[in-house]
Amino acid sequence: MEILFEHLPLLPILIPLAGAAVALLLRPNGRLQVGWALATMGTALASSGWLLTSVWQRGAPLTFASGGWLPPFGIVLVADLLAAMLVLMSQLVLFSGLLYAAGAGDRVVRTPGFYSLFLLLATGLSGAFLTGDLFNLFVFAELLVISGTILTAIGDDRYGVEAAYKYFYISLLASAFMLLAIGSLYVSYGTLNMADLAARVGADPSAPLLPAAIGLLLATFMIKSAVFPFHFWQPDFHTAAPTAVSAMLSSVVVKLGVYGFLRMTTLLFVQQAELIQWVLLLLGSAGVLVGGLSAVGTHNVKRMLAYSTLAQVGFILIGVGWGTPLALAAALVFTVNHSLIKAALLMLAGAMASRIQEKSAAFSALTGAGRSFPLPGALFFAGALALAGIPPTNGFVSKLLLFRSGIAVQGWVILALIAAGGLLTLIYTMRAFQRIWWQEPAGPLALKAGDRLLAPALLLGLVLLLGLWASPLVQLAQETAGWLQTPAVYIGAVLGGQ
Amino acid sequence: MDIVTAVAVGTLFALGIFQILRRNVIRSAMGLMILASAINLFLLSTGAYQGVAAAYSAYPAPRSDALPQALILTAIVISMGGTAFVLALLYVISDRYQTSDQDEVSQLRQ
Repeated sequence: MEILFEHLPLLPILIPLAGAAVALLLRPNGRLQVGWALATMGTALASSGWLLTSVWQRGAPLTFASGGWLPPFGIVLVADLLAAMLVLMSQLVLFSGLLYAAGAGDRVVRTPGFYSLFLLLATGLSGAFLTGDLFNLFVFAELLVISGTILTAIGDDRYGVEAAYKYFYISLLASAFMLLAIGSLYVSYGTLNMADLAARVGADPSAPLLPAAIGLLLATFMIKSAVFPFHFWQPDFHTAAPTAVSAMLSSVVVKLGVYGFLRMTTLLFVQQAELIQWVLLLLGSAGVLVGGLSAVGTHNVKRMLAYSTLAQVGFILIGVGWGTPLALAAALVFTVNHSLIKAALLMLAGAMASRIQEKSAAFSALTGAGRSFPLPGALFFAGALALAGIPPTNGFVSKLLLFRSGIAVQGWVILALIAAGGLLTLIYTMRAFQRIWWQEPAGPLALKAGDRLLAPALLLGLVLLLGLWASPLVQLAQETAGWLQTPAVYIGAVLGGQ
Repeated sequence: MDIVTAVAVGTLFALGIFQILRRNVIRSAMGLMILASAINLFLLSTGAYQGVAAAYSAYPAPRSDALPQALILTAIVISMGGTAFVLALLYVISDRYQTSDQDEVSQLRQ
């Protein structure tokens, strides 16, 4: 146990990575591979749960200097509350994604490499959250992008390749931006360790390349998170991906950008945070409007949910943009809740699409298809309420916190926008519910048994649980926000109080 | 030497961006490769001169910093993998869509 505890921040990265390699060896036996992938992800989930509880109980970040190279020279893994919380959230959703894939009828889930790639996706995401080194973040983000793209390109959807192409192209550009930012920061401050960098930027914010680096990093994370002007690839990509994958992409993978913004405003560039927050507020509000209106105007339920992600990420960015402890806590609660809700809704949409003869998520094909399937209808209804922020779901808790922080900073215009965005959410989710589960079908529908509903049911159970018993998550988010307000916590944990 | 490196980085960058914006998918893939080279050269130039407080600045003799070279090595490997994957995607796309015009590779809009 002792040796495991010493390596604790490494476990959520190492377990899926090793599991992915072994899963490749298990190719000849499909069922064994599925079981192995689920067991691996379950172990990783347990380790990240252990990580979060240890960090929380300890009251200070856990660090791990990889290879014994002490920071700021080696690559260090830092599990503060923010990283540990996001890792737990993403691994939870990724586990449910694997569960969904195990019960899905798509051809792609029987591709030999599917489970390996899925575990690599988990590795990339956990690594990006946990690393304390900017270049290492780039590497993990790249792993995430490549595995996500391949999973989409091999999907059953015949437009998967086109979507993957668009996404990969824009992601390569984002990586180019990030490398430029890394180079600019390195030449100005001579370090890539995030804690060390934060201390040095704080000591001398006059480096001529600093504004360029901030702008480039902002653009990078905006592309990763599909923030408003950089969102054009996202609906295509999230619509064409296989259901189990698109549920991950639209829920946890987009949170990488949110994580980046949080680190930028509360750790790396604290003195420049005001400008960054202003940009985030502006683009977040624009995203709420554009995403909401576009979602109302779509003809495909998966595409609608993809546009909805644009709007919901906008809400989170508004929280990050206000930047008060309460607003940061609201953004964190929103991040976790949105991941659970959106993954469940996309799985339900995909499950309905798999129940009609020719798999399609278009409203025209799905009209009335849900009348024979009341259970997914009830689940979708609960998820729709949660997305719109209606009690007793966790979506209500996150909206309430966001409203309270908005009132505290007196951002009335944006509060009105948030209210409008919530109304739009209600309109498009209820329209989808009505089209699929209420309306009479135009003609006789040939229905079949489709993907299993265990994964979305579990997620929605969590959604209701976190709505009725919200205090642990809110407390955790508030404590995390407190840590974020004092960058010295992070810097001291890495550099040993220098 | 500074000016030569700067001009080279700038030229490669401009060429890369210009090619990326072309409609031909293969040209724009080439643009990505050129852009990657421009950035690698930029990273190299960050280590060729003494930084503000680079990890090795304690050494008495001025020497180039080894870290950017390690970064470039990683970046080259990643961009090579990315390029190979883009080319594979383009192969499937040109087969499926029978075109190399980016505007015609957009059947996803509904």
